[in-house]
Amino acid sequence: MSENRSLAKNSDETRVREEIQLVVFKLAMEEYAIDIGHVSEIRKMLAITRVPKTPEYYLGVMNLRGSVLPVIDLKKRLSLPSTAKTEDSRIIILSVDDISFGVTVDAVSEVSIIDKADIEPPSSIDTNVENRFVVGVGKHNNRLLIMLSVKEIVGLA
Amino acid sequence: MDVNQYMGMFMEESREHLQALNKSLLDLENDAGNISVLGEIFRSAHTLKGMSATMGFTVIAELTHEMENVLDLLRKETLKCDENIIDLLFRCVDTLERLVESAGNGEKGEDVSALVQELKKITPKGGAAPAKTAAAAKPDAPAPDMETVAIELSDIDKDIIAAAQGQGLAGLHIKIALDEKCMLKAARVYMVMTSLEDFGEVIKTVPSAEDLEKERFGLSFDVVLLSGKDIDGMKDRLLGISEIVSVEINKLPDFAAGALTEDAARKASSPTAGAAEKHDAPAAKKAEDHKVKSVQSVRVDIDKLDTLLNIVGEIVINKTRLAQIGIMHRLPDLVETIEQMDRVTTELQTIVMKIRMVPISQVFNRFPRMVRDISRELNKEINLIIEGEETELDRTVIDEIGDPLMHILRNSLDHGIESAEERRAAGKKPTGNVKLIASHEGNNVVIDIEDDGKGIDPAFIKRKAVEKGVITQQESDKMDDNEAIKIIFAPGFSTASVVTDISGRGVGMDVVRTKIEALGGNVDVETKLGAGSKFKIRLPLTLAIIQALLIKVADETYAIPLGSIDSTINIVPTDISTVQNKEVFLLRGQIIPIIRLNRTLNVSAEEAKPAAEELYIVIVHMGEQKAGIIVDTLVGQHDIVIKSLGKLMTNISVIAGATVLGDGSVALILDIATVMQTS
Repeated sequence: MSENRSLAKNSDETRVREEIQLVVFKLAMEEYAIDIGHVSEIRKMLAITRVPKTPEYYLGVMNLRGSVLPVIDLKKRLSLPSTAKTEDSRIIILSVDDISFGVTVDAVSEVSIIDKADIEPPSSIDTNVENRFVVGVGKHNNRLLIMLSVKEIVGLA
Repeated sequence: MDVNQYMGMFMEESREHLQALNKSLLDLENDAGNISVLGEIFRSAHTLKGMSATMGFTVIAELTHEMENVLDLLRKETLKCDENIIDLLFRCVDTLERLVESAGNGEKGEDVSALVQELKKITPKGGAAPAKTAAAAKPDAPAPDMETVAIELSDIDKDIIAAAQGQGLAGLHIKIALDEKCMLKAARVYMVMTSLEDFGEVIKTVPSAEDLEKERFGLSFDVVLLSGKDIDGMKDRLLGISEIVSVEINKLPDFAAGALTEDAARKASSPTAGAAEKHDAPAAKKAEDHKVKSVQSVRVDIDKLDTLLNIVGEIVINKTRLAQIGIMHRLPDLVETIEQMDRVTTELQTIVMKIRMVPISQVFNRFPRMVRDISRELNKEINLIIEGEETELDRTVIDEIGDPLMHILRNSLDHGIESAEERRAAGKKPTGNVKLIASHEGNNVVIDIEDDGKGIDPAFIKRKAVEKGVITQQESDKMDDNEAIKIIFAPGFSTASVVTDISGRGVGMDVVRTKIEALGGNVDVETKLGAGSKFKIRLPLTLAIIQALLIKVADETYAIPLGSIDSTINIVPTDISTVQNKEVFLLRGQIIPIIRLNRTLNVSAEEAKPAAEELYIVIVHMGEQKAGIIVDTLVGQHDIVIKSLGKLMTNISVIAGATVLGDGSVALILDIATVMQTS
């Protein structure tokens, strides 16, 4: 990742600029982001089978090339208002600690590279989402990206 | 050497040797004078030493080396085997187990110097002791009739040869000379040894096996072989190995004469030809057994087998899909072809399943050691009897069954079997018996864990269960003893505080039950106060591909494993009556409770169908209990590939797993046991 790091003069000291890549997506008109390291692929909506006796934010399970993966309704998980599925709706396949699962989002907007220095700690900016889900808020081209904790989404944190 | 390349093999083989060591040590403990067991232990330790030295794990090599010194003294009977030595050796094996595991994880492992010191204390002269014994044996050798024998034999060697001669086998001294240009001497030695194994048993080599392996010898070496076979054939075979220039075979003198009882001596002195003939058969059989083993088994990476099974699973799914297309579009040619394909896939499936079968001894093997340790700890006399360890189960089941079995066994040892005094007082033998028996029963494997301990007191269980609020007093009054005993499997019953108070049979028994049911099996208990308890675990042979009935509730498809289904019938709503607020109906005089799946599965009300005129009922069973499940549609019977729902969705009580249907959608598999319990 040496190309992501460049030296820049900052006042008297030299510091290392670190950048991270984020997958940016929309949920109920807000923009959110997840570290690309956790994203294994992005799929159009697929048939999802409801699984009884699971928490409400689980949509169910889907078939991804022969393996069965749980799918989480990210808006429900984050207690955001529900909106109807559209043509733009996507399932982002995430993996953390060898666990793979999908989350539904309203639309995937882009993959952005942002400087770590432009990320604010979660508490400094008010968001619509419970603090535990937010790992930081990134400032990117005058937009605010709410960066989510993948572990918190699946309840592993 | 790139060690990593061999790491997997090293781990696997080390574990095998450690398991063998554990087993042999247990045997030795029961029969301290058993030379052949000592030999096995020595060989395992020796192999471990060689392997770990090659891999660069010097600590393991050091410890095994010291063990070998002690074992050598035991083998030569210079040292007497006692409890302390066996304990020490067990501790060595435990340490080795940890060392091997840490080597596998790339860790450094613990310090063994204390253990090495203890071992050294037993062998006061250190490594010199064995050499001395070997030297001491020399003057004992009866010189007169040893003219042809240029090989040193210790008394033990002679005893072994004498015993074999007593059985009509000949003791042969074989001198083998290698070509001076021979490049891989160790490889030739290996080939010679392998060939000789077909003819009989090698009991000694000069120089030692270790030196031969390391090529620490000149151009010739000596072997002492016990054999009932034709010498010329042996000679031809050995000369057939390249780079072997000469083979000299001499019969050893008859050590049996005089040394043994008259009877044995008479046998030994009978014409060799006749004796050899007589004993040819068993020897040949032994050689054959050996061959069968070495030729037919192949070590396969478990991941590869899993992948193979997944691929077969995909084929099965796609076959189902094709069949659907054929029927939907009325294509007789396709339907016919698929029928053919069906046969092939079924066969393929059966074979893959068979490949995955593993004998249950893999799990059972670790219990003798555990029972030994626990019974010492508890100061009880316990005898573990294992039967049917050759029974085969799918690897996935084998992996999962160890913990539940261990749990039940521990409970039997801890709380079932009484102390020796209590047993005597109760008029029983002081030694308690615990039996672990595996057997086949149709498409199931049954494992019984039976003890002759004090049994479980139903009245006590009831009282405690009421106290803990697991059941009400009213429920308790209605319960018979059988039902009461089953409370031990109830979730609320197994909290730690309950366990210590009562007989302790509740320790995590709900976990045991959950685990076994997750494997598609069930567990039952029979007990008689004062006479003992018997836990019966019934498991399916395999977990990967099963036959299931697909059904629909509203627009959701579910699979019910065929193993749980008795039959399907139609009834009309008026057949259902209500008893104690529960819906039931009569089936051939039997009262069957009704389960409405839409309620159990929380199918939303708007999706649920309005009451139909005719109801489809699937009669399912779990053990003796039966229930009728109302479903909306019967889709049909299919082979389904069981897939896990993953780590995020474990413990969904009514769902046993998922499967991918022909159209690519996912259907859930119902866990009938919990469906029946929660409905």
